[in-house]
Amino acid sequence: MRRLQSRIILFFVALLALVQVAAFVFVNSANSSNARAKLEEELNVGQRVFARQLEQNAEKLKLSARVLAADFAFREAIATHDTGTIESVLANHGARIGANAMVFVDLDGTVLSDTLRPQSESRPFEYPALITMNRSGASASMEVLDGRAFQLVGVPVLAPVPIGWVVMGFAVDDALARDLRQLTELEVTFALDDARGWHVLASTLEPATQRTLLGMMPGHTDEISRRVLNLAGEDHQALVIPLGDNGSARIVAVLHRSLEHALAAFERLRNTLIVLALASLALSIIGSVMIARNITRPLETLATAAARIEQGDYVEPVSLRRTDEIGVLASSLNHMRGGIADREKRILKLAYEDPLTGLANRSRFSNDLELALARAIEQATPGERRLTILMMDLDRFKYVNDTLGHGVGDHVLREVAGRLQKTVDGADCVARLGGDEFAILVMHDTDAAADAESTDIGRRIIASLESPILYEGQPLDVGTSIGIAHFPEHGRDAQTLVRNADIAMYAAKRNKTGLATYDPHYDTNQQEHLSLLGELRRAVDRDELKLYYQPKVSLSSAHVNAVEALIRWEHPTRGLVPPVQFIPFAEHTGYIKLLTRWVIREAVRQCGEWLRDGLTLQVSVNISARDLMNRELPDLVAELLAEHDVTPGLLCLEITESGFMEDPAHAQKVLDRLAELGVKLSIDDYGTGYSSLSYIMKLPVQELKIDQSFISRMATNPEISTIVRSTIDLGHNLGLQVVAEGVEDVAVWNMLRSLGCDDAQGYFMSRPLNARALTEWIRGNAGTIPGLTPTSEIAAEAAASVMRVTGPG
Amino acid sequence: MTRSGLRAWVAASCAVACGLAGAADLVINVRDASGAPVADAAIYAEPLTGAAPAPRANLRAQIDQVQKEFVPRVSIVQVGTSIHFPNSDNIRHSIYSFSPAKTFTTKLYSGREAPPVVFDRSGIVVLGCNIHDTMVAWLVIVDTPWFAKSGPDGVGTLKNLPTGNYRITATAPAANLAARSLDVAVDGAATQRRTVELAPGS
Repeated sequence: MRRLQSRIILFFVALLALVQVAAFVFVNSANSSNARAKLEEELNVGQRVFARQLEQNAEKLKLSARVLAADFAFREAIATHDTGTIESVLANHGARIGANAMVFVDLDGTVLSDTLRPQSESRPFEYPALITMNRSGASASMEVLDGRAFQLVGVPVLAPVPIGWVVMGFAVDDALARDLRQLTELEVTFALDDARGWHVLASTLEPATQRTLLGMMPGHTDEISRRVLNLAGEDHQALVIPLGDNGSARIVAVLHRSLEHALAAFERLRNTLIVLALASLALSIIGSVMIARNITRPLETLATAAARIEQGDYVEPVSLRRTDEIGVLASSLNHMRGGIADREKRILKLAYEDPLTGLANRSRFSNDLELALARAIEQATPGERRLTILMMDLDRFKYVNDTLGHGVGDHVLREVAGRLQKTVDGADCVARLGGDEFAILVMHDTDAAADAESTDIGRRIIASLESPILYEGQPLDVGTSIGIAHFPEHGRDAQTLVRNADIAMYAAKRNKTGLATYDPHYDTNQQEHLSLLGELRRAVDRDELKLYYQPKVSLSSAHVNAVEALIRWEHPTRGLVPPVQFIPFAEHTGYIKLLTRWVIREAVRQCGEWLRDGLTLQVSVNISARDLMNRELPDLVAELLAEHDVTPGLLCLEITESGFMEDPAHAQKVLDRLAELGVKLSIDDYGTGYSSLSYIMKLPVQELKIDQSFISRMATNPEISTIVRSTIDLGHNLGLQVVAEGVEDVAVWNMLRSLGCDDAQGYFMSRPLNARALTEWIRGNAGTIPGLTPTSEIAAEAAASVMRVTGPG
Repeated sequence: MTRSGLRAWVAASCAVACGLAGAADLVINVRDASGAPVADAAIYAEPLTGAAPAPRANLRAQIDQVQKEFVPRVSIVQVGTSIHFPNSDNIRHSIYSFSPAKTFTTKLYSGREAPPVVFDRSGIVVLGCNIHDTMVAWLVIVDTPWFAKSGPDGVGTLKNLPTGNYRITATAPAANLAARSLDVAVDGAATQRRTVELAPGS
């Protein structure tokens, strides 16, 4: 800015200064040479006027002399040759014309009379040049007589032929000099150089100056010479004009003029020029400063405005009311400011807001969390819990989204977001991190309040989601699991806190508690699970997975007609990995599909093998809710059955209540198709869910398996025993085959048999066995198990290492 | 009287005198230093032996003033001649002479108002006009009856000189040439020719 201003000023000033200096130099030089030329010219003119004046004086004198010489009485007196008369005539007539000297010279050049030297001896006339003219002529010259200068004029006296000459002298005196000065405007000095040296004959100068002048007189010269004289401290341009030289004395006229005086006008002009130049320079500086400011000041304003915009201040517009280019620029800047402000608002919204729900997004949550952490670290004493994050996701949301479409999913998310905002009004930040994942950031005033406040918020959220979400009049039941992590107890940084809250959330989901606060124990499991999950991916390829089979024994005949296939993972280093450690995560990641596929294939293959060995065993396989969403499952099953030449009736697929409750309509379709194939379907873990038998009635199932939690307690609890009995009755009434799980002793066996239950499964009969062992066991017992009493050791061992393949939740 | 008239008159009087005794003409050729003929030169002869014959009474001559010039510019007369100065101009003139041979002046006059002037001494008289400085005339007064004036060819003839020795003088004051003399013996009637070369001077 400053540089631009300086450059503009510098440019204009330099330009103008250059022009001024050039103009000044040019005018000054022109003036100077003009002045000198003028002075020179004045001198020349003066000299010409001087010469002309002397000539005119001479002419005038000649004329006067001629008139005098023609005077009859004068001539008559001269003609008389009477010396006395002649002298008196000369004096008398000389006085008439103001001549200072009168001389009569006769024809032979002898002076007959001389008023300057009366009574003197006759002598030859000293200036013969004056008297050699013819009768009509006259001549004049400057001569010295007795130390004085005279302008001498000689004219013949005609009677009527010349009879002599009269010579008249006019003194060169101060009066003449003054006359000449008046005419020439030059100082005039007549000087004589004779035996006495230089002296002044006549002058217009002061006596003192005359003496100075004499000191500077030049040497002999016949020509007009020009010189500069310093007189009384002033330079004079001078002309030295020789007027007469008779060998012993010479007369010069010095015409001069003060240079300073002559140049005074020029000096005044030059001073005026300097003043003008300086004034215009000053004006130009002021002007260019104003112009520069006029340009740079609005530029500074614009730069300031641009800097404000750069800092994100879009409030104040640029206020420049101008109509020129800068005004246009200012206006553009204003438009730009508005545009940037709008876009930034939109970008911020996009960057920090979840467009679907209007909640904060992950970035915003991360930022807020970081800020809150910083604040918490700053304000709280170490160890004080001041900050909690709650992570939550929706149960069965993925199922809703996949089966009912994203429109419904989005509706659910928006509804949940609305309820969350209402519920956790005071929370610092409610964010949707993506999918069905939400996070809530809560600040606490005291450490003591942390637990109560966070738990309270969690409970209220769960409560708010208890009432179903309506979509086009249809109720959608959405559950949630919430994980809680406190700062700094469960993590000192954002990443750890979020991860641990996440882990707590999975724990809550797994444990069906709805709400869980982080516990380091979760983390260990979690770590192991995650690691196992990775290894599980390779397990199928490495043939580490095995199927074990637990027989279903007919209570009436004690025959084994069916087995349930249970997966086992024989890890090369970990040993036997319990299904509970990898099945839930396989379900969560979708890997369960491949796992199920492998299980069905293996079970069907084994079934086929047994068939070829002459052993007809119905094999049950557990499938998850996710498998029920898989429309390709019926085709896969048909393909496998055909491949291994197994009749569809030998395959039984066990599903849990929750498995089809997530999307009953879709599950129904898949189940219907499976039923069409002839595959047997079974309700597993019956009694743990909330499904009503009337609903199950609509499903194409043929079997009901009562959950082992009822069976194991029925011997000691009459109420449960009653429930079991009524369930068996209901099942039978609906035309279903009823299976009891978890039969561990003979008492239960007997009770079930008395209640009319169809089949039993449990350690009392057999633990799960591999295919070979099972085959041997069946052949060994000849298809029945009377009298077989499993040892308690075996039961305990089996319980620890085997878990049935089961659905989620 | 005109110039030619005067000359005729002089010639006639000579002729009468010559007719009385044996006489001869003397032709004088006047030249200047460069050999050019000198006009208006006065030529006269003075006898070296014996006196010249006394002048006749009532010798008269005339010098006119025409257009601010004297006519003739140069005149030769014998001593005792009375000269009239008629004024033929319609302006007035005032004739003067400061010459020693005759000093005189007239008043301003016109026509024939001026009285005649008798020139009774030999010599040269320069006449001027007091009013008109450019007017000048020369009058040569000789003490002999034998005189002549050279023509444009510089030749003048002295007629009827009786036998004898003469000093011949030529002078041309108007031409600012000095007088020069030579002696000539006249014998019989033979016409003699002589040349006179004049040098500058007055």
